[in-house]
Amino acid sequence: MSVYLTRFRINTARRGARKLLGSPHTMHAAVRAAFANPEDHEREGTRTLWRLDAPAPATVHLYVVSPGKPDLTHLVEQAGWPTTDTWDTRDYDGLLGSLRNGQRWAFRLTANPVHNGRLTKDAKETQRFGYLREAEQADWLVNRAARHGFTVADQDDGGPNLMLHRRQNVTFRRGNGSVTLVTATYDGILDITDVEAFRRTLTGGLGHAKAYGCGLLTLAPVR
Amino acid sequence: MSVLLLRLAAPLQSWGASSRFAHRNTEIAPTKSGVLGLLAAARGIRRTEPLTELLELRFGVRLDQPGQIIRDFQTARSLDGRDSMPLTYRYYLADAIFLAGVSGDAELLHGLHDALRRPKFPLYLGRRSCPPAGPVSLGVHDGELEDRLDTFDWLATEQFKKKSYQSVRLEIIRDARPGERVSETVLDEPVSFDPAHRQYAWRPVVRSHTDRIANAVGVADDHDPMTLVGG
Repeated sequence: MSVYLTRFRINTARRGARKLLGSPHTMHAAVRAAFANPEDHEREGTRTLWRLDAPAPATVHLYVVSPGKPDLTHLVEQAGWPTTDTWDTRDYDGLLGSLRNGQRWAFRLTANPVHNGRLTKDAKETQRFGYLREAEQADWLVNRAARHGFTVADQDDGGPNLMLHRRQNVTFRRGNGSVTLVTATYDGILDITDVEAFRRTLTGGLGHAKAYGCGLLTLAPVR
Repeated sequence: MSVLLLRLAAPLQSWGASSRFAHRNTEIAPTKSGVLGLLAAARGIRRTEPLTELLELRFGVRLDQPGQIIRDFQTARSLDGRDSMPLTYRYYLADAIFLAGVSGDAELLHGLHDALRRPKFPLYLGRRSCPPAGPVSLGVHDGELEDRLDTFDWLATEQFKKKSYQSVRLEIIRDARPGERVSETVLDEPVSFDPAHRQYAWRPVVRSHTDRIANAVGVADDHDPMTLVGG
């Protein structure tokens, strides 16, 4: 069973890019269309996750982690550079295999921090509510880190080594209705505590709204 | 050469260069006609009077905090309430901060600095409903317009800096020098503000960026997951 990490750079000047960046629903469909076989998109214990990163103004990267190799030709044609730049797909297994308990990594995660509750005291159904405050969003990740195989490292002042940015409410159309999500991007340092659970986090995601660009946790060396 | 630097900041600003009829647009940065109009207002020059000395100034602006474009859908009725006026869309820049500079004769610039501190007519940023937040003039500085716009302190708010990256480059839009390669030409060189026959000439403009500015409180932008899987 193998997993792949893919990076695709979006040409923000193109009309196709506007359409994709404007709606996670459209982007989800485009990512889904990158896989000819259903098992390349979703497999037992592994699913396709994606995230948008903007490392510099006017530079937007689409990262995809998937159980099969994606073919992003349609994205290049609509929202890329068809004659010069395509996409990079790398084998993720080497990294997954080299992870050990106690390792420390820098990470980035865009997630949908929510809790379940009732709108009124006597409401029959429970529903999801987004955490809107920065402190609540940070606590959300710190509290669920353990069951995903890691802990957020401490800073010198004792607080978690976390920085939240791009905290936003995203609203987009789906069919005749609309979807509203609270998202936040977490940058921080983590320590691996349970490597099996942590591998499942990297390939299976963390939190809700995974189809809509949330839940993909990526690693980088600590500097 | 001397440069008079201006801090153009307000909850709302609106800088029109090409509005027609019911859509009153705003540019993304202050226009030369708008800023020279502000200086003329400070001086107490009436619209029908000639602008002579102001017309020789070179103009440039830096986008320290670009702000957001917002739209106002405006309805109006005549005073007796019987007729409705045309529906208009008015566009504004919300929460923007700009560094603008005019360069020219030092004596003239010192006079304009004094006038901005004690203006004859009320000052506003593009539209009468957009008064400036804080003093407009940052004083007269020696040097070339390009250098001053390149190196002057970044005027953005702390909140905006926290949301920006740790290294930023600010966009500059300024008058082209003779013979310089022009980015675009806009109908924004004021000739006369006389309401009976307003006149603008074409203005060649150069767009560029400052060098990288370090922003210690900003967001890290160096997360590259590909480094671990072979670049």
